[in-house]
Amino acid sequence: MNPEPSSDSAAVRLSSDEDVTGRIISDSGEHAEASEPPTRVTLRSQYEPKWLHTLTSKYALVLVWAAMALVYYILMPHSFGSIGAVRAIFGGQPVLVFLAMSALITLLVAEFDLSVASIMGLAATIVPVLAGLHGVNVWVACLIALVACMGAGAINAFFVVYLDVSSFVVTLGTGTLLIGLSQWISASNVVSFQDDLFSKIALQPFLGMPVSFWYGIGLALFIAYVLAYTPLGRHMLFVGANREVARLAGIRVNGIRTGAYIVSSLLAGFSGIILVSALGGFDSTSSGQFLLPALAAVFLGTTVVQPGQFNPIGTMIAIWFLWTGIFGLQLLGFAGWVQNVFYGAGLVVAVALAKVVRSRSKTA
Amino acid sequence: MTSYRLEARHVSKTFGSTRVLDDVEFLVAPGEIHALIGQNGSGKSTVVKILTGYHTPDAGMSLTLDGQLVELPVQWDAITAAGVSVVHQDLGLLDHMSVAENIGVGGFVRSKVLRRIDWKKQHAIAQAVLDRLQVQVDPATPVGALNATNRAEVGIARALRDQRPGEGVIILDEATRALPREELVRFHGLLKRVVAEGTSVLMVTHNLDEVLALADRVTILRDGRVVGSALETSGLTEQDMAKLMLGKTVGSLSRRQKDLSDRPVVASVSGLVTEPGRAPLSLEIRSGEIVGVTGLPGTGFETVPYLVSGARKAPAGSLRTEAGQVDLAKGDVVDCLRAGIALVPERRDRDGLAFEMSIRDNIALPNIRKRGSRWFVGRAWQAVEADKAIELLSIKTRSADTLIKELSGGNQQKVLFAKWLSVSPRVLVLHEPTQAVDVGARQDILTSIQAVADSGVGVLLASGEPGDLVEICDRILVLSRDGSVVQLRTDSADDVLEAVYNEAVPTAGGPA
Repeated sequence: MNPEPSSDSAAVRLSSDEDVTGRIISDSGEHAEASEPPTRVTLRSQYEPKWLHTLTSKYALVLVWAAMALVYYILMPHSFGSIGAVRAIFGGQPVLVFLAMSALITLLVAEFDLSVASIMGLAATIVPVLAGLHGVNVWVACLIALVACMGAGAINAFFVVYLDVSSFVVTLGTGTLLIGLSQWISASNVVSFQDDLFSKIALQPFLGMPVSFWYGIGLALFIAYVLAYTPLGRHMLFVGANREVARLAGIRVNGIRTGAYIVSSLLAGFSGIILVSALGGFDSTSSGQFLLPALAAVFLGTTVVQPGQFNPIGTMIAIWFLWTGIFGLQLLGFAGWVQNVFYGAGLVVAVALAKVVRSRSKTA
Repeated sequence: MTSYRLEARHVSKTFGSTRVLDDVEFLVAPGEIHALIGQNGSGKSTVVKILTGYHTPDAGMSLTLDGQLVELPVQWDAITAAGVSVVHQDLGLLDHMSVAENIGVGGFVRSKVLRRIDWKKQHAIAQAVLDRLQVQVDPATPVGALNATNRAEVGIARALRDQRPGEGVIILDEATRALPREELVRFHGLLKRVVAEGTSVLMVTHNLDEVLALADRVTILRDGRVVGSALETSGLTEQDMAKLMLGKTVGSLSRRQKDLSDRPVVASVSGLVTEPGRAPLSLEIRSGEIVGVTGLPGTGFETVPYLVSGARKAPAGSLRTEAGQVDLAKGDVVDCLRAGIALVPERRDRDGLAFEMSIRDNIALPNIRKRGSRWFVGRAWQAVEADKAIELLSIKTRSADTLIKELSGGNQQKVLFAKWLSVSPRVLVLHEPTQAVDVGARQDILTSIQAVADSGVGVLLASGEPGDLVEICDRILVLSRDGSVVQLRTDSADDVLEAVYNEAVPTAGGPA
């Protein structure tokens, strides 16, 4: 009776199957909604002040973060308490911020993009290869890199949106393909490129932090604004929440999905440029390591600020949270392996938490 | 020693506070075709789901097969072993697999050593069942290449695979719905051969004609109760059954008897083909008029709302409103919205609302582009719209920020309705707006539909609920399978049912 199947909320579809079960019952029994869940009136809900409720339900991650920072501070009052440490925690991950925002944009419209890290790697390879090895003007090299990244996004969109291939498969494939291309371009070498002005676009101090930190803040705020206050953003949320509902409301669903892939790739390209600018070079085989932290941050971000929804501010907080944890452990003398353990565990815990938080949230 | 093949007594099922089955009993004799009929929501599908173990019945039910007590809730393995099999409405066939695979699935014969599927045996099994049913289909054919009747036959063959001739019960859950009329006779012949061996058939159906032609006895459900238990079909007419299914006509008073023929036409649909091969449908909706569309499932009435609103492309047809003309074979939702058509779809969970978002967001959705500029959409008007809707339709919620998934079905339906009212459409197209909502919400929804019409909007209401149709519609179009239309102006649900189930007999309609 009704045509093609549709999707459900991005966060739901990607992290649980609870919604599917609900639908099966309502398809059949016709009375699935008849039973309203009983409202639990507990002492806690009665006497808990509103601000405390908001704090515990929407900002629990911030509380955990504060507790973790406190523990580190007590253990290492000098090293962890220094201004250098604060700077390292907040300003140390500009690449991850851009990459996480890139992943966020596709996840918002209920698409997976597992190729963001490779796209970032492509940009981070093209810039030093062109500018360093072939003597191309560095800004021209950046422009070429960004166009290449958007091209990669367009290819993803073509397969996923117009040929209707699973986004998981397509982006996994293009991601690997792009790593290969980057290795080919760079002849599998670490290509470095030094330029004072170019390195300033990431490292120039501004208000006590590297300027790239402020780019990240600006980007997160901009995305948050677009999502909350522009027609485009509202439409994106509906495409993510239920594609069929969006289509029947006259939204050009496929246009928005395509745009999400392209913009996401563009942001990934920017993160590559910042990476080269900050580090002065890039090893094209290492791009894969950047994917998981970005996804972990985006999913962990759904537990905070707007629980149950992908949101940019939450993603920022999650990045700081994860990085604080790793930074502290490294100060305590744990070697590099701790990073993988922390991010890996972070992703699983984040998705599990997101599911719990979402099933409990009753209001937007 | 009981003489029944399947004996179910005291079947009750409660969802939350709603009792959907109340002490139902039905008795299927060996070698008979027993029909189970009832309106949408009468509990037929719940009965089947209890028998297949999908739902757990309330305490007190007893179920016996050939006198053997079956443990409850039903375990699918156990009941299959006891000889019960089901053919669902969609038949559950995989198109790209062969007939033999489709018949064999769930019980593949494996070879001894490698445990791989023994295809030779599998084909032999399929061939044996098909021969038994006298169906001429090669087991190697992919199911996708078969016509509707052959597909249904393969579905039956799968159900019979493990049954010894003369035993067991086959449950047909609307399995004949997809069959063209002229093919039904052949399919019925097959069913008669099956019962002649002694196997019983329990068929759930909408088609009263089929019940009379095929079934020996019929059990009729209404609102979860048995209103006709194992009646002999030989003494019944379709009208008798329809009356029992509907019961006393519910609240049919409030229909406004207005002469609307001088009002301007707000939308006219012409040459709409719901499915290739059907006669085209034309209709006009006047300002303030509520036009009902109904028919049996499969007559295309249920696709009309999606076709006229551009949600699905029609084979042919066009729509004209004051705002312009849309070719329904090419246009999409955006074009139809621009022409002033708003669709309230049936499946609110899938097509209607984003369940993980708030009431306010959902109601604001269709207006975001209109009310906001490119770079800014205010929040204030969204809150105002949402509060207005909550007030107007008496939506029960704590605030406009509540997520849709927290609301009851009736309140969700009201939000969906409010969402599309907020675009001030010229024509509001509704599909089953009262499905799965409680009585109070139904009344609220029907009242607001009338209020909308009174404000000058044209309303097209596609529904399989004669009660709803007669209560608010100014005229009702009854579609039949070949595409012909009967127009009714009536406030008796019986008249509508009669026209729906009695496609062949032309009913005198009022003036257009």
